[in-house]
Amino acid sequence: MDKINIICVDDEREVLESVSRDLEYFSDMFNIEECESAFECLQLLDELDAQQEYVAVIISDHVMPEKSGVELLTEVALDNRFLGTKKLLLTGLATQADTIKAINNAKLDNFLEKVWDPQELLQTVKELLTEFIVEKGLDYEDYIEKLDAPTLYRLIKA
Amino acid sequence: MLKKYLKYLLPILVPLLILLLPASSFGIAGMTLIEQRVIAIFVMATLCWILEPIPIYATSVLIIVLELLLVSDKGLWFTKLAPPEELGNIINHQTIMGTFASPIIMLFLGGFFLAMAATKYRLDVNLARVLLKPFGQDPKFVMLGLMMITAIFSMFMSNTATTAMMLSILTPVLALFAKKDLGRVAFALSVPVAANIGGIGTPIGTPPNAVALKYLVNENSISFGSWMAFGVPFVVVMLFIAWLLLTTLFPASIKEINLNIKGRFLKTPKAVIVYVTFVTTILLWLMGDLHGMNSYVVALIPVAVFSVFKIITKEDLKKISWDVLWLVSGGIALGVALDKSGLAANAIAAIPFADFHPLLLIVGASVLCLLMANFMSHTATANLLLPLVAALGASMQSLLPYGGEVVLILAVTFAASLGMSLPISTPPNALAYASGHIESKQMAKIGVILGIIGVLLSYAMLYILKQISFIG
Repeated sequence: MDKINIICVDDEREVLESVSRDLEYFSDMFNIEECESAFECLQLLDELDAQQEYVAVIISDHVMPEKSGVELLTEVALDNRFLGTKKLLLTGLATQADTIKAINNAKLDNFLEKVWDPQELLQTVKELLTEFIVEKGLDYEDYIEKLDAPTLYRLIKA
Repeated sequence: MLKKYLKYLLPILVPLLILLLPASSFGIAGMTLIEQRVIAIFVMATLCWILEPIPIYATSVLIIVLELLLVSDKGLWFTKLAPPEELGNIINHQTIMGTFASPIIMLFLGGFFLAMAATKYRLDVNLARVLLKPFGQDPKFVMLGLMMITAIFSMFMSNTATTAMMLSILTPVLALFAKKDLGRVAFALSVPVAANIGGIGTPIGTPPNAVALKYLVNENSISFGSWMAFGVPFVVVMLFIAWLLLTTLFPASIKEINLNIKGRFLKTPKAVIVYVTFVTTILLWLMGDLHGMNSYVVALIPVAVFSVFKIITKEDLKKISWDVLWLVSGGIALGVALDKSGLAANAIAAIPFADFHPLLLIVGASVLCLLMANFMSHTATANLLLPLVAALGASMQSLLPYGGEVVLILAVTFAASLGMSLPISTPPNALAYASGHIESKQMAKIGVILGIIGVLLSYAMLYILKQISFIG
């Protein structure tokens, strides 16, 4: 089976841990990575790519020192190596200008507000993960028990 | 720990052991080196398809390549060093490579083109919408409608694609059921069951049927139309039984169901070409030999038409399920090797099958097939069993009063499609199980009952076909 990663980025340790906890459901089949800054995330992306691992979903906070979440996700959106990686912005402090940038430049796949509903986060990641796996042409049957069935039905054509 | 590696080790070590054994240890008189290598390849294929250390289509490709390397006239130099009488019948490499483009593969390719064009121009969804209307809103009849449409579609499209489409239509409805309403289970199960059964209806409905066609040649050949003449009635009866079973075992307490399918029939010139080609191809298939073309030739007409009019584009071509085509090719190549090496005939002569009662053989082979199909890919099951069964059937004189090898081949082919009691049995089952509305216990209950009824029904059908001299 291919190694598929879900990356969480947030400068606050507690938030990071709580996101990871909410995504516990995926941990036996997917790798959940935690990064405390955008730079750490970019470094990790480099390493994962070098090992030919997939990055299915990046869940990022927006307001972080040095490099913001929107800047990080814009970089990922423009990087050929991560074509198809799903990007989720999880923030309570984005201005309208940030939001416009996030949609136009970072091509967000989803936007959730802090404080988030764990059930909603789980469901959103499930759908994004399913989309990623089908769009990449990976063997969905290997992961089927963790995927979102309605999304799967919608996307499978052959 | 060792257990984890066993699925990798066994498919390598056992065939190697077979290659190294002295030829005399197989109990087949005068066995040649080529025949021994074919046995090793066959055993490797069996282990690979059962244990799945590699994807099932990769096993097929491996079969073809190993045959080219080890038993073909252009194989590795040291494989041809032995004196001819010890070596046996070397197989022409063009014959082995030709399995990639055998007429049966072309028939399937034609089917893929039809299905792809139908999906792309939304013929499938729009037909589903129109055909479902007369079934009203009573859950019982809506389910009957769903099952009939699923079955009809799966006769021409892949069972998996049909299931995905129908389940996506069904998803919003399933959400409306009360948590405890068993009707939810019935509906979620009705789609994969109908898709599995529907595949039996036509030669292109499901890959095992295509594999069977490879062995139904010369005086035993069955045309597209005559396959449907017995396949469709079988599907209808099975569907009706499945429907009764589902509605009694899992009755719905909800009173009304509204399937809401959006969309309109496309009326663009391209869409019209798709409709016309679709209908014409099926009519040509049904007409048999009236126009001089056989079903394999007819299958290539939609391929040409859709390519010429850019209905299937370069990008669409990449999405064709080449894995399914290769999976079938490997099965055909396995059959070719068994046949052309002379192994099939020799091995069957060595085992006293003639002493068995022919009915015992038909029942034994189809039950074994049903069992295997529940646990592994239907196509891989057919790939393994059909060449053996075909060789056996051809050599057994005592089978003739019961309809000859055709009966044996069809019984096994039908059984291959009836293995559907587990989520892993078929991709449609896996998809339906993923909906979360079904427990595996419930799927097993329906699957086991339908499997047994289906096999019994196939015997009855074959008996009748023999009585009216349709076959045999």
